[in-house]
Amino acid sequence: MTHRERVLTSLKRQQPDRVPVDLGGTLASTLNVHTYRRLMTHLGFGDDPPVAFLSRRSNSVLPDERLLHRLDVDCRAVILGNPDLRPERELPDGSLTDEWQIVWKHVGEGQHFINAGGPFSGKEPDPALLEAFTWPNPIDPGRFRTLRSQAQTLRAASDAAIILVLGVGAVHQMQFMRGYAAALEDLVAAPDFVQAFLDRYADFWTCMTERALEVVGDLADLAMFGDDLGTQQGPVMSPALYRRLIKPSHARMVQAVKKFNKPVLLHSCGSVAAFIPDLIEIGVDALHPVQVSAKSMDTAQLKKEFGRDITFWGGIDTHRVLPRGTPGDVREEVRKRIADLAPGGGYVLGAVHNIQAEVPVENVLAMLDAAREFGRY
Amino acid sequence: MDLDALKEAVINGDAKGCTVLTEVAIQAGHSPQKVLTEALVPAMQVVGDKFRCNEVYVPDVLVAARAMKKSLGLLKPLLTQTGAKPVGTAVIGTVKGDLHDIGKNLVGMMLEGAGFEVVDLGADVAPEKFVQVAKDTKAQIVGISTLLTTTMLGMKDVLRALERADLRTKVKVMVGGAPVTQSFADEIGADGYGESAADAVDKAKELLGIK
Repeated sequence: MTHRERVLTSLKRQQPDRVPVDLGGTLASTLNVHTYRRLMTHLGFGDDPPVAFLSRRSNSVLPDERLLHRLDVDCRAVILGNPDLRPERELPDGSLTDEWQIVWKHVGEGQHFINAGGPFSGKEPDPALLEAFTWPNPIDPGRFRTLRSQAQTLRAASDAAIILVLGVGAVHQMQFMRGYAAALEDLVAAPDFVQAFLDRYADFWTCMTERALEVVGDLADLAMFGDDLGTQQGPVMSPALYRRLIKPSHARMVQAVKKFNKPVLLHSCGSVAAFIPDLIEIGVDALHPVQVSAKSMDTAQLKKEFGRDITFWGGIDTHRVLPRGTPGDVREEVRKRIADLAPGGGYVLGAVHNIQAEVPVENVLAMLDAAREFGRY
Repeated sequence: MDLDALKEAVINGDAKGCTVLTEVAIQAGHSPQKVLTEALVPAMQVVGDKFRCNEVYVPDVLVAARAMKKSLGLLKPLLTQTGAKPVGTAVIGTVKGDLHDIGKNLVGMMLEGAGFEVVDLGADVAPEKFVQVAKDTKAQIVGISTLLTTTMLGMKDVLRALERADLRTKVKVMVGGAPVTQSFADEIGADGYGESAADAVDKAKELLGIK
């Protein structure tokens, strides 16, 4: 079975030859730049490997093909480029800003940049704000310029599944542009503003996505976007509110991909079990990252309840096991998640979120070794 | 006038209603202490309980806390005039190197809603700052928050700094945040850990022996 077939079979909840593995396939399943450098050096690919950033904001990388080949990883990412108009740029204090006028604060070398507000921060949540805002152009040519050549290069180099990594979903974008706490309050206190924003952003997003798939749809195997709906303890918002306010936008976004007959991988952190029936209903094929450290995310239970209708993607704990465990703990974690999630197909194994700087190289390798050891069907 | 309407306004996150009803309550002759303990505190208790069992969610708690703060803003000057004492003083902040603050803010608001004086040091707080402010305010509680696995060990530095300043026996240290667990709290020698904001308030009260 090719790497691509392995992933596509799992997305159909059928059983491939072994559990496919993702590392570097999406913007939330890759490596922090420090870990990446250490891993490359450890495996003999040089002391100062060139770095291609998947996201500057999260200091995460698009791993080198040699590394992914060596580690027998089943997925590869293609990413949208910076727009020609107002591309992401660095401010004098080291912060980043982008076409959305969001500011990302630099907190430390190699760390995730942290949202420091956006164009709607500190303002009254009035739909007029949305009218006054200069919305970016969804089909700015810069976004798509290298998309096709990225995919062609990957196709020539490997038979891995190619994932089109799309922009963040509407909930995140609202939080980035408004500030997290205010965006959360708005859900309850200013639903009209939220509704107007979501409609407008979904217009932008679907237009951008359709163009991306026109460009690369024949080469990409699936598309991914992210919108976190969970906290450590439970849903961010009530499921009723999600259904009323947000689900219609999510459905439109999924539909934009489905028009091209591509499976959709949705990234949503935290305790999101309460939303899974809705995600299945709107056509989400696979759920990433299965944050096992959050409440109600017991993998055996999730598989039992939803495994027939959705593929699980991720599952190896990055909160405790990968950073603080031994290689033996990692091996046991992989064994358990495979036992819980893999039966009958429908599981793509990977870390819950990007592998951070404090994770030892030995643990990353232990995860991949164990995936091969226990992943055979 | 009874205080149930004000209590309801807090629970429903009705900020305007809270302002009006607090003014009415004071004009009707209720003492600020009574408005606090018989309306705001029980209202936030209800919100906390509902939050704990997923009947309401973070957005609802934030909106309720914002409404509660409107009322508290009116009561505070009056409470100071009457010389009323808070149930305790808590100094809270997010650990050095971490800018995440929603969880910490929630804990702060719920502590205020339980009658605590809360001194919020914000995010990215150095250990020395925790020590200095805890000393200056004669705080009984120091609450440290973290979201990142990379910064959680910084909590230990705060504990050490409190020890060096001879404050460790005078304050109870509470820790919380997504990567923190009870066993981590035990390991670094913290006095308390709360799984959620509502648990943190219960724990703070328990540590100070408040019913």
